[in-house]
Amino acid sequence: MNAVLTGSDFLRAPLLAAAQPDGFKEWHHFVVHGRDHRLLINFSLTGQARNGGLAPRVIVIAHDERWSGAVERFDDGALEVSADLGELTIGGNRMSVRPDGYEVVIDLPQHDVKGELHFTSMSRPFVVNNQAVGNGRMCWLFVPRLRAQGWLRIADREHRIEDELAYHDHNWGRFWWGDDFGWTWGTILPQRPEDPWSLVFLQMTDRRRLRCLSRALYVWHHDEPAAIFRHASVRTRSHGLLGRAPDCTLPAPMRLLLDGDASGVPECVEITAHRAGDEVYAEFRPQSHARLAQPSEVSLDRSTVLCESNGTATVCGSVNGESINFVGAGVFEFLNG
Amino acid sequence: MVERVSSLLRRSVEHLETEVPDSHALVVDSLGPLVVELDVDGELFSLRGGGGLDVCDGAAELAGARITTTRAAILEVLDARVGLQEAIETGTVSVAGALDDVLRAHDTLLAYVHAAVRAPSQPGLLSALRRAP
Repeated sequence: MNAVLTGSDFLRAPLLAAAQPDGFKEWHHFVVHGRDHRLLINFSLTGQARNGGLAPRVIVIAHDERWSGAVERFDDGALEVSADLGELTIGGNRMSVRPDGYEVVIDLPQHDVKGELHFTSMSRPFVVNNQAVGNGRMCWLFVPRLRAQGWLRIADREHRIEDELAYHDHNWGRFWWGDDFGWTWGTILPQRPEDPWSLVFLQMTDRRRLRCLSRALYVWHHDEPAAIFRHASVRTRSHGLLGRAPDCTLPAPMRLLLDGDASGVPECVEITAHRAGDEVYAEFRPQSHARLAQPSEVSLDRSTVLCESNGTATVCGSVNGESINFVGAGVFEFLNG
Repeated sequence: MVERVSSLLRRSVEHLETEVPDSHALVVDSLGPLVVELDVDGELFSLRGGGGLDVCDGAAELAGARITTTRAAILEVLDARVGLQEAIETGTVSVAGALDDVLRAHDTLLAYVHAAVRAPSQPGLLSALRRAP
């Protein structure tokens, strides 16, 4: 399994963005489902049509009592990619793919954010190719369960990470923020590490979320895929609206453009999946959220907002004759055009 | 030496014109012929429309909107510690002028922010703004 990671989770930008930077995007994304916190770390590269370069960015947000963190954009001169495409350096920040997982170093002194984390893969990665995203396409690789160790300090809050469950995905493709798409992207992991189930959910819609373009629920048992439910075998129902304003909007100046407090996050998401005798029901109830905003690439006076929400997930059902029944932590991302 | 706010704004709009020309044009359209006078910690300057975006030192006799504030208050709003509405209600940002001109000034501010968040030079200018006198 270890060789699979180093062989498949390499950076694509040097191969795919050099000739045609317009619309190219790539990011490595990590979520730590800690016992008393959620941490989200994202290293991203965005192709720049004007100068042909790649705009690097680092996002670090954490939730304990509320979400807080930082988003920092760097000059393309701050970007280094190793010759084997396995290591990405952005300023003082570094993400390295190792045979057994990932090393992440965070250093954002302007925001008083610093940390070092090691992620050990505990499950087989999976690749989804050519996912339609508006007029573009995206590929993604995910590792549904890892074990995280290390520490992360945001201002005066230090988070110790000791054998906590985590999720990773790596996305690359060519698409445009603000195009006609939206998504709901979730990772669910059990509260008890000995519980063997891990779930990943993705639903792609149009921007107004009136039309579902694709959806899938990925269920892993221990380190292997146990069931993959796609399209019509998955049904979802979202209802209500989370009655709580976002804890923060990042980067902070975007708050001037997003002055409302309506969350755009549902009160509850229900996922029901059936296939070949397997069935899974998952319910995610968001508790709070942070807004990550970026300029639309298709309209000069619009913004694209990613709502990162933490909450409780309840999962039940059976797969391959094995019963699933656990309460876990969910981190769901809602992209609303 | 700390750079004056008028100088930072002048450099900012110059960068917008070269880095994000379409967004810069939207700011010009939003401002139209309006002249906005700004008083930041007693430093008087103006942003003048009429086909371009000119930052001029000193008072503006024909200003349609006048904004009085401080460098600290600008940073409070940009860092989202205070919302713009709250800053106006509490008086850390004061706006005066005819309603249409104030609305035009507000639309211009939003167009300027949309442009600034798209331009790679602006984080450096924001860092310079933080270097308080």
